[in-house]
Amino acid sequence: MTNPTVENIRRSLGRTAQTPLSPRPALYKPRQPESVDSEIESFLGEVKKLSGVGQRISPAAIADALKALVSEQHIQKATVWDTSYLKQLGIADSLGSLGVELVSPNADKYAMALCDLGITEADFILPETGTLVLRSSAEKPRGVSLLPRVHLAIVRPEILRADMHQVFAEAKDSHYLVFITGPSRTADIELTVTLGVHGPKNLYVWMISG
Amino acid sequence: MSETPTYIGFEEYSEHVPASIPSAVQQATSRFVGGRAARVAELPQWEELRQIGSDIRLHTIENMDVYLTRLEEKVKLAGGHVHWAETAEDARRIVLQIAKAHNVKMAVKSKSMATEEIGLNHFLEAAGIAALETDLGEYIIQLAGTGPSHIIVPAVHLKKEEIAALFSEKLNIHAPADPLELARIAREILREKFLQAEMGISGGNFLVAETGTLVMVTNEGNGRMCTTLPDLHVALVGIDKVIPDWESLTVFLKLLARSATGQKLSTYTQFITGPRHAEGEFGPKEFHLVLLDNGRSNVLKDPVGREVFKCIRCGACSNVCPVYKNVGGFAYGSFISGPIGAILSPQMLGTPAARELPYASTLCGACADVCPVRIPIPTILRHLRRRVAEGDEFSKPSIPLPLRGTAALASVALAWNWIYRLGARILPAINPFFRRDGWLSGLPYPLSRWTKVRPLPAFSAHFRQWWNVHSAEQRENSR
Amino acid sequence: MSKAQLFLTCLGDQFYTSTLQNMTHILERLGMELVFPPEQTCCGQPLFNNGFEDKTRAVALNFIRAFSKSDAPIIGPSGSCVSMVKHHYPFLFKDGTPEHALAVDIASRTFEFTEYLVNVLKVTDVGAVYPHKVTYHASCHYLREMGLKTEAKALLNAVKGLEFISLKEEETCCGFGGAFTVTYPEVSRSMMENKVRDILASGADTVVTCEPGCLMNVAGGLHKAGSKIRAMHIIDLLAIRESNVP
Repeated sequence: MTNPTVENIRRSLGRTAQTPLSPRPALYKPRQPESVDSEIESFLGEVKKLSGVGQRISPAAIADALKALVSEQHIQKATVWDTSYLKQLGIADSLGSLGVELVSPNADKYAMALCDLGITEADFILPETGTLVLRSSAEKPRGVSLLPRVHLAIVRPEILRADMHQVFAEAKDSHYLVFITGPSRTADIELTVTLGVHGPKNLYVWMISG
Repeated sequence: MSETPTYIGFEEYSEHVPASIPSAVQQATSRFVGGRAARVAELPQWEELRQIGSDIRLHTIENMDVYLTRLEEKVKLAGGHVHWAETAEDARRIVLQIAKAHNVKMAVKSKSMATEEIGLNHFLEAAGIAALETDLGEYIIQLAGTGPSHIIVPAVHLKKEEIAALFSEKLNIHAPADPLELARIAREILREKFLQAEMGISGGNFLVAETGTLVMVTNEGNGRMCTTLPDLHVALVGIDKVIPDWESLTVFLKLLARSATGQKLSTYTQFITGPRHAEGEFGPKEFHLVLLDNGRSNVLKDPVGREVFKCIRCGACSNVCPVYKNVGGFAYGSFISGPIGAILSPQMLGTPAARELPYASTLCGACADVCPVRIPIPTILRHLRRRVAEGDEFSKPSIPLPLRGTAALASVALAWNWIYRLGARILPAINPFFRRDGWLSGLPYPLSRWTKVRPLPAFSAHFRQWWNVHSAEQRENSR
Repeated sequence: MSKAQLFLTCLGDQFYTSTLQNMTHILERLGMELVFPPEQTCCGQPLFNNGFEDKTRAVALNFIRAFSKSDAPIIGPSGSCVSMVKHHYPFLFKDGTPEHALAVDIASRTFEFTEYLVNVLKVTDVGAVYPHKVTYHASCHYLREMGLKTEAKALLNAVKGLEFISLKEEETCCGFGGAFTVTYPEVSRSMMENKVRDILASGADTVVTCEPGCLMNVAGGLHKAGSKIRAMHIIDLLAIRESNVP
């Protein structure tokens, strides 16, 4: 039994429940990737254009980079995705040794809202638009990239994808996906661009390579 | 602005445009037009994308029953709830029922044209549930109690001093006239609300039938807050937002932000399929999709008019429309303004209620040039004018009798060439009474509507007599 | 000698006799033999554009009958009027009727003046002389419905001594829109005033357009603003030669 809306749609279109679906028009050819280095350059360049801070960092330089970030952004409380890669890089440990208070990534929203810094990975990145693609799970909570005023995304060359096509082909069955393209922004008041309205004000993207 | 209008008096509104509107609106539109032009220039395949976008949207409209049925199936499979709202009243009732069932005291709202269409905020408030706008521009106009002047930047008509005064008054604080400070104040206040609210209400940009996915395109992060922090998420989305699959989505995401603001992509694009899977991941425990018809399924009867549903709500048409830029959003008397509003409102509300809107255009065609999905807006405007003036299979005419009479007279005078030629000989007799400086001013009604704005040239139909002499001379010379 | 029929347009007929005379002179100088069907009145655009499609048919039939007496091409000084004939006449009549066949035939041989010169006669230099600063308003239907993006400028570029200045908002509607001027006069006013301001800011002493309707609107607006800027139909400018340079 169908509902009145669908019945009415069929009546208006002159269709019945048996009328077959006509073929969907063809798409265009999706973009193909250029060299890895060129894709990384484009990606970091776009992040910069969006007022994010994008840079290449070697694994050995992470600890120092974290120290600089904590100092620059006055980080007192932080929350970090508890993923194997971030554990491998020792992110939470480095923060701890810098005196930053760590809040569990599965903490409730009130506790997480008090964090200054949220650190995540990304599932994919898109070079043309400087976009981070994040899935969501108990291991990768959504709040970490949303509530703190600073968001640090740790990414790798392997997660580069040429275009949205490739991302969707791989990720369309996720129950949640978010594209993050730069820090939160608005131009609602006299068209003056303001960052960090509701989402994070500062976006850092570290491409771990070398 | 949020109740269903019974009559939209565009002429009345357009004659009382507040002085601040045109310049404020034009600042916004020129910024977006410039941005759009830059982004379009970067994409050599832009025209191809537009055509594909148009084709896919049209295909979807023509098979809407199949895609909506598939969508419902998939949303339910993902653990979401689907409700069908035939009318605005149904939609309001459904949302209230859900809110009551969950003891909701406060809902936080992400920007949604559909919720404005049904007047949801007032309805919830009357039932004792606070419905708080969280998009900065919408928050501002909610405090101000006015409607949006522009689809993307609804509060652009307000100066920072006015917004500061508004905040100071309504929030009992001392707000400085500085956009960054004002945004910070809004952020702090709304953060508390995001955390406390029991329900998040959103609209949606697209509904992907393939997997039952709601797509939300935003910039501020409030859309994420509303759909991530409360345990309950209710999305109210028009049935025309359905698209077939993720592949199609790539086309629309490439077209949307570029056309709207000149960004390559908006800051946040969310793809939501049902509620969260685990508690620690954040996200709502329950996801409800309310599909809003409210007259859309009737509009589908008209193969010309229904192309309006190709719209992806980018606002590019408004940004280039010289009429819109001079009157702003209020004049269109509805939640949706500009050229797209002029073809949507008459179809959703019926031409009698909105008969002035199809005429609120010079048919210049600038909108059709920029529409990312090639909606033939001028063609549809003329199509709707026909419905108003002469009626068609969907509606009786609704044009006032005097105008119909004028058209009948004009038709006779122009079809019977002896009447026309006689008139052309007589008209110059008027000149001496109104001529000033080579032009005619102060002519009587209805030509007064012309001369009150600028003078008319003098009537001077002398070509035909000249031609008789001239052609005789030409014949002479060629002998 | 090639033949052509003169299409005056109702506005041309009522207000711009000299433009029509100039059109005659230019075409004759280019070696054309001109015919003028006197039964013509109006293309019917004001009725059609305002939704009075049924009432347009009789007017269109008058046009079609007047111009069907000769099989020569039809030339008119207005993109919007020509577009009405070319793009809308065939759809006014039912497929298969004799009226429809006539409409299709007429539509296929109706041309806008600059279109005919540049694209059919392949002429851009008509020997015009006009040593002044000239700016150009691109009329909406001429530009978008007829797709005439380069023809007017090609003709202006060939005018001896002419210095071309671009309008900042060259392609923005001037607010004429036919009946729009009397349907929403205040909105029309705002649009016209924007166009006038743009023209005044350009530094040109002449503004040219290819539409009698736009010309009426803009010229009237310039006059009301007390401006000395000359507003002309492109045909009038193209008719100026050494002997009558202002």
